[in-house]
Amino acid sequence: MSIIRSRTAQVAVVAATAGALALTGCSSNSNSNAKEKTKTKQDAASQAKAVVFGDAAASTGPAAAVAGARSGGTATVYQEDDFSHLDPGQIYVSDGGLLSKLLFRGLTTYKEDAKGNQTVVGDVATDSGKMSDGGKTWTYTLKSGVKDETGHEINSADIRHSIERLYAPFITDGPVYIQQWLSGGGTAYRKAYAGPFKGNKHLPDSVLATPDDKTVVFHFKDAQPDLPQALAMAGYSIVPEKTDTQAKYDTKPVAIGPYKIAEYKSGKSLKIVRNTNWDEKTDATRHAYVDGFNIEYNHDKDDQTKTILADRGEAKNAIMFTGQVATNELKDVVQDPAAMKRTVQGYAPYVWQLNFNMDRVKDKRVRDAIALAMPSTAVYKADGGAYGGEPASSLLSPTTPGFDASIDPFNRGKKPNGDIAAAKKLIDEAGAKGMKLVYAYANTPVRQQQAVLIADALNKIGLDIQKKEIDSATWYEQMGKVKNGLDLYMTGWGQDWPSGNTVIPPSFDGTQIQDGSSNYSHTNDAHVNSEILRIQKITDAAAAAKEWAKLSQYITEKINPAAPIYYTKVFQIAGSNVGGLRYSTVTSYTDVTQIFLKK
Amino acid sequence: MLRFLLRRSSGAILILVLISAFTFFMFFAIPQDPAMLACGKNCSPDALAIIHKNLGLDKPVLVQYWNYMYGIFAGRNFDVGHCSAPCFGVSFNNQQMVWDTIKDRFPLTLSLTAGGLIVFLTGGLSAGLIAAAKRGTWLDKVFSGVSLVMSSFQIYFLGPVVLGIFVYSTGWLSKPKYVPFTEDLAKWFMGLLIPWLVMATIFTANYTRIARSSMIEQLQEEHVRAARAKGMGARYVFMRYAWRGSLIPIATLVGMDIAALLGGGMVTELVFSLNGIGRLARDSVVDKDLPTLMGVMLISAAFILIMNVLVDALYAVIDPRVRLA
Repeated sequence: MSIIRSRTAQVAVVAATAGALALTGCSSNSNSNAKEKTKTKQDAASQAKAVVFGDAAASTGPAAAVAGARSGGTATVYQEDDFSHLDPGQIYVSDGGLLSKLLFRGLTTYKEDAKGNQTVVGDVATDSGKMSDGGKTWTYTLKSGVKDETGHEINSADIRHSIERLYAPFITDGPVYIQQWLSGGGTAYRKAYAGPFKGNKHLPDSVLATPDDKTVVFHFKDAQPDLPQALAMAGYSIVPEKTDTQAKYDTKPVAIGPYKIAEYKSGKSLKIVRNTNWDEKTDATRHAYVDGFNIEYNHDKDDQTKTILADRGEAKNAIMFTGQVATNELKDVVQDPAAMKRTVQGYAPYVWQLNFNMDRVKDKRVRDAIALAMPSTAVYKADGGAYGGEPASSLLSPTTPGFDASIDPFNRGKKPNGDIAAAKKLIDEAGAKGMKLVYAYANTPVRQQQAVLIADALNKIGLDIQKKEIDSATWYEQMGKVKNGLDLYMTGWGQDWPSGNTVIPPSFDGTQIQDGSSNYSHTNDAHVNSEILRIQKITDAAAAAKEWAKLSQYITEKINPAAPIYYTKVFQIAGSNVGGLRYSTVTSYTDVTQIFLKK
Repeated sequence: MLRFLLRRSSGAILILVLISAFTFFMFFAIPQDPAMLACGKNCSPDALAIIHKNLGLDKPVLVQYWNYMYGIFAGRNFDVGHCSAPCFGVSFNNQQMVWDTIKDRFPLTLSLTAGGLIVFLTGGLSAGLIAAAKRGTWLDKVFSGVSLVMSSFQIYFLGPVVLGIFVYSTGWLSKPKYVPFTEDLAKWFMGLLIPWLVMATIFTANYTRIARSSMIEQLQEEHVRAARAKGMGARYVFMRYAWRGSLIPIATLVGMDIAALLGGGMVTELVFSLNGIGRLARDSVVDKDLPTLMGVMLISAAFILIMNVLVDALYAVIDPRVRLA
């Protein structure tokens, strides 16, 4: 997934992600002290395993109790911005993904243990799904007793409706994986079917069948071994058919999860309270210890950190959703052992990379020189300091199954701030001294600082860098244009679920190049394209992970369409009265399904 | 007076229409596409076309403007439901009725304005009058000097400093938060106390200086000196003759300040994480949310025009020599 703004605040680029975000790798920091350092790749590596698919036993509720947890009280959440969407079908960013954990449920979800290991389990379904026909057919059976906030029991028609409504014109955001797998890539799926609202038409049974109230069958043209993970994304949460208000649903959705919306004031606040129709016995992953959450918007990182660090009044019960400890408050937090006990930290699944426009920067020696010259340490420190990231050597994140830290073609291990001498030599060899290159960057303070660092480094190796500032609000849309007129531009990408399948194909599949595509470098390599098709058919997750890693190495070493610069990390703080704090490997932020108030 | 008010009101409506047209067409003159913000990750040209249609941006700009203005007087229908008059449209950003959002945000802005006004008018005018009465004394010098220093502060500097000291470090005051006074009067007061005081620090200085200079000017007027020559008491002349005369520039300033604050004390609201009209204005610009931007612009302009009319009418009350012709 790309890193997309949810709604611009002054600066922040909010990490975008799907509901079933990513495998990231750290547990709670509750035992840490002031001397504890930021998390390392070793922490993440223990989590970067191929995902496990859970059976009916693993999918049966209730979830194992959190030690010392008690019920009651209202937690406060400080947020920078309002949620982009409340309609689950349109949720594709981190903050919405966290909220969806509390309000919505899907066919599948992730269950994680205290060490961060995760298993895909049935959420509304009895298990993670039964695959047949070599991965082309998936069958789900629904649990009994799963009700929405109105008391309606979820049936197969609701599941069918939840998928079909994603084809409707009012759904303009959210993931499109399953729609494309069912009905055609790109925007072909929209032409194939216009949704269930006009003429009350359904997808044919040969595509999506509901033979009885409890059974749903997906039929794909090609094998889709990742379906259970795709279905765990927030965007595929269930929208009950009878209460679907279409476009209006975005302001007042119906809850199936442990909480429901009590009051929503757009741009100001959202109050959620217990959904009395949620039955913990049907839910293998969620707890609902607190009575509700008061989510307040318009608190920037600095305000969130200062307020929670001061730990007074309602801030004692406060958590961050996607906020992070502000860079200028890091010292105060890290040097205070009591405050550090209230933090969670870990890897986020994003890799920031400098894309080369392959249509314009055609000489690989020039691309290699630029990759070698990248001042990774300085660049990541401008984005959150030591707790904000670390130099990247790969296009796969340390949290992606198959990640191999030993693969380091640009010598980030030994020269994390760039190897200017080696880069200069390559530029000389390529006869590219004085070559003019347009470097585009978003007009946010972080990207502006990074632009200075990157341009300086590239000017030092003999290139002539022309900086071009772009509106951050439409950054990805502008980078997504095939004829964007730019040479170099930094983008962030992370997995939608723990598999290279959501990293390599979206970024480097040459058959998908078109305006709006996330193949920002316009990579179009026959070997890469054929390998993507081959690996996507592998139904064994562990075997697929190895193949994605090999392909990633090939792309970096043989093509080099994007120079990896830094991996991102998350560092959050909560109020002193918040218990059950742990880092979620699923969402890459504080696990909101575990928290309770101590008193 | 009635004729005056009617004439000025009709002029104000014309100005509002001009402002609406200017804002609307300027928005489309800038090379930006609000649909892109709603387009998300899979933003293909097809997806963008669907969003244009959903937002009504596929129609000619003139038609869009007509629909918008028509909605203000007659209401409109949207995918998310009927929007009754005065309909300022539906936000591009969150699909909420703009008028509902403005109504929701306005009480905070009104509270901020009213409380701040009481504090800075009381403080500023008192200090100004004392300084004028004690002109040339150490008291005058202290008030003048302090007001000079205070007026050079900015809310974006003073606000975080006050928060740092009184909220985050010592915890003596609670963090600013708006609670409607109908819900809890004490929490309303305490929640806005810091913003009022910080605003007052800066505004008080302005009023001290203008009240002082205006009073000094009035004290040198012939009618004031004549009153003193006739043997009237200094205090009586000060309050009855000079004070009244000095009110015209003060009324002008108060009118403009009220209008500006009701239109949104943007910096104050941003610094203290408060959700009023000012923040809404900022967000609508950042989010390229034309309907919200239009709503806020028109409301803010309306406040300025209304206060202008009221201030003009007040001149005649303060000084009977002013004719509302």
